[in-house]
Amino acid sequence: MSRVVIVGGGRVGLATAELLDEQGDSVVVVERDPDRTEELGGEYVASVVAGDGTDPATLDQVDLERTDAVAALTGEPGTNLAVCLLAERRADVRTVMRVNDPGAETRYEDLVDAAVCPEEAGAIATVSAVLAAEVEPLADTEGVSLRWVRVGEDASVAGRALSEVALPRGALVVAGEAGIPAEDTELVPGESYLLALEPGVVEETTDLFRG
Amino acid sequence: MVGMGAMIGAGIFVLTGLAAETAGPAAVLVFLLNGVVTAFTAVSYAELAAAIPESGGGYAFVKEAFSPFLSFLMGWMLWFAYMIAGALYAIGFGSNFVTFLGLVGVHLPGTATLGPVSVPVGATLLSLVIVFLLVGLNALSASASGGAETLVTLVKIAILLVFAGFGAFAVDLGNFDPLFTQGAASLLPAMGLTFIAFEGYDLIATVTEEVKNPTENIPKAIGYSLVATVVVYLLVVFVAVGTLGAERLGAAGETAIAEAAAGFMPTLPVVGSGATLVAFGAVFSTVSALNAVVLASSRVAFAMGRADQLGGGLGRIHHRFGTPLRAVVVSAVVMVLAVAFVPINQVSNLSSLFFLLSFVLVNGAVIKLRRERPDLARPYEIPYYPLFPVLGILCNVALGLFIDPVIWGMGALWLGLGAAGYLILERGEDT
Repeated sequence: MSRVVIVGGGRVGLATAELLDEQGDSVVVVERDPDRTEELGGEYVASVVAGDGTDPATLDQVDLERTDAVAALTGEPGTNLAVCLLAERRADVRTVMRVNDPGAETRYEDLVDAAVCPEEAGAIATVSAVLAAEVEPLADTEGVSLRWVRVGEDASVAGRALSEVALPRGALVVAGEAGIPAEDTELVPGESYLLALEPGVVEETTDLFRG
Repeated sequence: MVGMGAMIGAGIFVLTGLAAETAGPAAVLVFLLNGVVTAFTAVSYAELAAAIPESGGGYAFVKEAFSPFLSFLMGWMLWFAYMIAGALYAIGFGSNFVTFLGLVGVHLPGTATLGPVSVPVGATLLSLVIVFLLVGLNALSASASGGAETLVTLVKIAILLVFAGFGAFAVDLGNFDPLFTQGAASLLPAMGLTFIAFEGYDLIATVTEEVKNPTENIPKAIGYSLVATVVVYLLVVFVAVGTLGAERLGAAGETAIAEAAAGFMPTLPVVGSGATLVAFGAVFSTVSALNAVVLASSRVAFAMGRADQLGGGLGRIHHRFGTPLRAVVVSAVVMVLAVAFVPINQVSNLSSLFFLLSFVLVNGAVIKLRRERPDLARPYEIPYYPLFPVLGILCNVALGLFIDPVIWGMGALWLGLGAAGYLILERGEDT
């Protein structure tokens, strides 16, 4: 069981608190707006501290000593960074900050333990949903993106063995629905395959598979 | 309902006799004053439960406010208090079941001589059987218990109201004159003895996560169950003392209410003798209360285990049964030992002592959090702070002081055992 402090009880903060509470972690939310504070109390997923998370006097009321992680999830990256740096000075906690621009996560690498971009996560989920799982992007890892791509009926790779297909350099079929593919694995139309793709070959390779 | 279930439950059936024995007809005052004293702590529970959405009751609140060591002691005390309360209800079940069987015409051998000591074989055996049965049920399935609690509670209250209703006509006010046959000072030890009858707040707070609109409803639930419990208790004790007299109640011990019922209950249609109905109520209540405390003790152990405060995998959920199996088994062993070897009023005192001490900590948690975390959102705030938490601490400590030193010794032994285990565990983690 972890103890997590969330600064910023907006939609992202509340949704995060709910997920953590569901799995049995103990959550404290710091929220500045009095009306929102009351709403959060009614949700009954976390204790709520009313105040500004960048104010040391407020942050001292969440008992950082016993806290495992602080997630700064307000809409202002500057505020979030300040909260993380302040928390790190006070106690040995893992710090997570919210950023607003997709791709901005790496800029804060040296300063916080992790940066998340809810907009990007939302975009990934939306792409999966609008394409009805034809293409399902997973989180981008360092320089390589992973996504499930379904083989279209008239795709150029449909019905071919993997050895017959010339994938671009920097593209790899990691897994299929039936398991890890071998040379002679046939790419069955209608089934999805997990592709690992370097940035330059994403469009080209997904096109090969989707048709 | 769970809280009221455990409170109204067995406390009244099992403890009325003990209270009458210690305080005479003033037993009525004992329950009234205990109601007032617990009200101070009840508001503290309400404030904390509304502000801290954690299951685990008093343990969770103390964990939030105090050091890990103190919160460990809190959990350790509560766990034990529930186990011992379980033993009390098991003993109550055994005796009342024998009475019930007697009323329907089945007689068990009263006592047998086992070496130099004579043992009430029938009742003790029955007590042990029910412990094994309920512990088994709770050990093997997480969902077997708790479901029908509302219905069970309503049935119990109905039976008690029938008892009070018929009894009201048979009350002889002469039984209350003089009120203080044992002296007014006897009130305090009697209060300490029966304090356990008001343990239910912690149970309410233990299950708070399952309530709708909790910030509003939990303080209400705590308030309503306190009022309802005090009213039902007072009616029942008033009728019991008024009909049977304090002396005979005291002599009847844990079957006092059933004895009193035998004196005035008319023959009812379907169920036969009215006394049978009340004796059935006593049996029924003790079973449901025992079930509630077995559940509560395993929840405390589970909460401690999740916070890494209970070594030896005691709080770990068993991979197959979905329950903290080891904790439940240890609970069972302690209950069985207490049932078999400890006299009933000592069992009651021991459990009361731990509840008193844990209530002191809960009131302390309110004060500490108010000072250190003024900006914590408190959907329910105690009125006239700091009056009630301070009164709560003073009263609980005062009642604790009237509990027998022997009981304190037993309590200290358990705490010492826990503290030693905790420190060894801590050291193990450091190296």
